[in-house]
Amino acid sequence: MTVSQLHSKSAPKLRLKGVSKEFIAPRTGQRTLAVTDFNMDVQAGEFICVVGPSGCGKSTVMNMIAGLDTPTTGSIEMDGAKIQGPGAERGVMFQDYALFPWKTVRDNVGFGLRHGTAGRGLTSAESEDRINHFVELVGLKAAEGKFPHQLSGGMRQRVALARLLANGPDVLLMDEPLGALDAQTRLLLQVELLRIWGETGDAGDRKTVVFITHGIDEAVFLADRVVVMSSHPGRVSAVIDIDIPRPRGEHIRSEARFGQLTEEIWSLIRDEAYRAIA
Amino acid sequence: MSTQATNTISTAALPAWVKAITLPLILTLIWQAWAMTLPENSPAPAPLKVVESFIALTASGELIWATIQSLGRVLGGFGIAMVGGLGLGVLMGSSRVVRENLDPIVESFRPIAPMAILPIAILWFGTGTPAALTIVAYAAFFPLLINTIYGVSGVDRQLVRAAATMGISRLRTVFVVIVPAAIPSVLLGSRLAMGVAWTAIIAAELAVGAKSGGGTSGGIGQMMFVFYAYSIDLNGIVVCMIVVGVVALMIDRLFRLAERFLLPWRN
Repeated sequence: MTVSQLHSKSAPKLRLKGVSKEFIAPRTGQRTLAVTDFNMDVQAGEFICVVGPSGCGKSTVMNMIAGLDTPTTGSIEMDGAKIQGPGAERGVMFQDYALFPWKTVRDNVGFGLRHGTAGRGLTSAESEDRINHFVELVGLKAAEGKFPHQLSGGMRQRVALARLLANGPDVLLMDEPLGALDAQTRLLLQVELLRIWGETGDAGDRKTVVFITHGIDEAVFLADRVVVMSSHPGRVSAVIDIDIPRPRGEHIRSEARFGQLTEEIWSLIRDEAYRAIA
Repeated sequence: MSTQATNTISTAALPAWVKAITLPLILTLIWQAWAMTLPENSPAPAPLKVVESFIALTASGELIWATIQSLGRVLGGFGIAMVGGLGLGVLMGSSRVVRENLDPIVESFRPIAPMAILPIAILWFGTGTPAALTIVAYAAFFPLLINTIYGVSGVDRQLVRAAATMGISRLRTVFVVIVPAAIPSVLLGSRLAMGVAWTAIIAAELAVGAKSGGGTSGGIGQMMFVFYAYSIDLNGIVVCMIVVGVVALMIDRLFRLAERFLLPWRN
């Protein structure tokens, strides 16, 4: 085994090193530093939540990991290799779901397999099986022939999740995926998300997740570690380990440790959040 | 009892086609009543004379042949416009550099009426089908181009980004994301283009007919010119007008059918 193999073996799933992002407004040429000196290692199978006040650059960080934006300085690596652009190994679930309105539920779920790199080497029967599996997993078998505009917000969110998973990415990047839902649906889907992620199964089978949210309780409920960001410019202000054992059920929301962690994170964001609305 | 029941029937219960023909029928009856007060040899058109003229023109095959010729030119010109308008529209819609360079040219040609290029078309292509095709293609080109640009440039960027994160290549994204997302605009453009194409062909044939002295250019427009300039047959002209209207209506209905078939995801 060579040194580089050893290195890649021990490398984290994702490594962000000294990442910054500066946007330059097209007309005025005005520069905005959205993210600065962002460092983070994410281990394989880890569930990371990123929280922070509005406009702290959470989505910018996610877009850079997805390869949709390039860092101005620093580097982002996956399995030790520099990320050059978007790719099927890093799936994204967008805040507005970004479903294709002219495709049915089923065709949305199978879109990446049909047209992208993830479907290469799969027979059409294998693809169909995989699509079936995920359509059923999110409970949309009965609605698979419907178009997105015929679905409720919660159902669209499930389609987006099934589409993300069916494409078989190694890393799941989720940008406030539950943000548009009502409070009750949101709580139910958090539980469901952990089930689908594989909380009850072998830790080695879990996907790596970077989940952006503005819900602190959501972050504590879901994450192994919570990355707290502060804004102007966006940077990491703290990383909090969530030591609540898995599998986690609804009951943990009423436990003392849950409250403590939520309060701890809130205290880190509070001052800035107040300043933002003042 | 029974009279009461008849009195309470509301017009809402009537089928759509009955409602659609009621008013035209009443107007036609009034027109016929008026025409019957005129002397027998009056040149004014009258519904019954129009029907007679229609039957005669259909029996001789003239009307059908003229309609086929005009329709053929419309479809041909529309096809040319479609290739040009869609091709250029996708390019201009997806590339800002292309759009910024071509926009001034497009916008300065767009207000020039199709009839205004007729002199050039006749000088270059003569008075036959090529000249007519040129006019129709020119007229249909702009609605197709503008609506394609609008559709392509208005595609939700998020969908394009989503495709990229699924490992779909840029070229493939054009065909599986951008083009399908632009179809509603393209269909709207097609409907508008077909409307102006049909208007343009009649005008072009009228004008070409005048230039060639009623010669052999053919088409409904030329037929109208002959009725106007030679036989002074207003009934024949009305027959042509009705045919033009009915064909246009049928084309529009076909487009609506196509919309329902192509866009099942809309409402």
